[in-house]
Amino acid sequence: MNFLGFFEIAQILVGIGLLVSAIVAIRFKNLVAAVIAMAVFSLILSLEFYLLQAPDVAIAEAGVGAGLTTAMYLLAIKNTTDEEVIE
Amino acid sequence: MTTTIIKTTTRLLAPLILVFGLYIILHGHLTPGGGFQGGAVVASGLALLIVAHEHKKVKELFERAPLSQLESIGALGFLGTGLLGLAGYTFFKNVIANSGFLFGGKTPIGINPGYLNTGGTLAYMNIFVGMKVLAGLTSIILIFFLILKEGEK
Amino acid sequence: MRNALGIVVFLAFTFFLLTAAFEIRPFGEPVHREMDNYFIMHAQEEASANNVVTSIVFDYRGFDTLGEATVLFTAVAGVLMALRSRGVKT
Repeated sequence: MNFLGFFEIAQILVGIGLLVSAIVAIRFKNLVAAVIAMAVFSLILSLEFYLLQAPDVAIAEAGVGAGLTTAMYLLAIKNTTDEEVIE
Repeated sequence: MTTTIIKTTTRLLAPLILVFGLYIILHGHLTPGGGFQGGAVVASGLALLIVAHEHKKVKELFERAPLSQLESIGALGFLGTGLLGLAGYTFFKNVIANSGFLFGGKTPIGINPGYLNTGGTLAYMNIFVGMKVLAGLTSIILIFFLILKEGEK
Repeated sequence: MRNALGIVVFLAFTFFLLTAAFEIRPFGEPVHREMDNYFIMHAQEEASANNVVTSIVFDYRGFDTLGEATVLFTAVAGVLMALRSRGVKT
């Protein structure tokens, strides 16, 4: 298989993964699971940046998006309630 | 959040993450990455360490960590390294490059494997910005952890 | 009524995005490439760094990085000032 075919197939798979993880992050009622889905979204997004040959942005996205914001959200959720409340 | 699984994983992973972040900061002028990226990676490693330990232990470990001082040193050092260029040239001029000082080795032109002792002010700026980002993001995570736990009691 | 409006907006947005996606240039062939070529050719002798991105961030566009550092410093200082007053010391 040549490089271009592999590149396009990887693009399509990454797009599907982004869409699925974003929908899952919205749909989950358990907030911890939603935060984990957001971390997965950030990780797939950093893979997309790496495929588009921007490794600097990929490292920043993986560090900030998948590491730090997940820790912050988990700390905030742990001290409140972990179920979505609809009033 | 302090189960045995998380503690064991942290013990294995945190040194690797910290060393990788320091590598990204130090090699910012040679390989992809730089001050901000490396600082964010180091801060995420420290956040893993913070989240995986108890409140008391984190408090006594990080109580004397000079995070505010590191942040200020980073900001002032970045500005000062930029101001070095005013000595005869313009703001942000790379004066240390090719001068023989630390990080001031001769930069080869063309395709080369990359030597650590080059880069001039870029390497210094990477280190200062990395210091600043690491201190800032870690202190935000730390104050979230400490204050929310305090309010719980 | 609200649902119908939402569907119309969604369809219009999808149409524009798909049109843009099919009209996009091939990857790695931008319209203007004089500036990219200049940076790639001259970064090593002018900024003395192998990593062209770092040489742009810290040398050619140093003021941008200075502003970014100021933004981060201000954000951290604001968060610490807002949350520090309850007796927690970092």
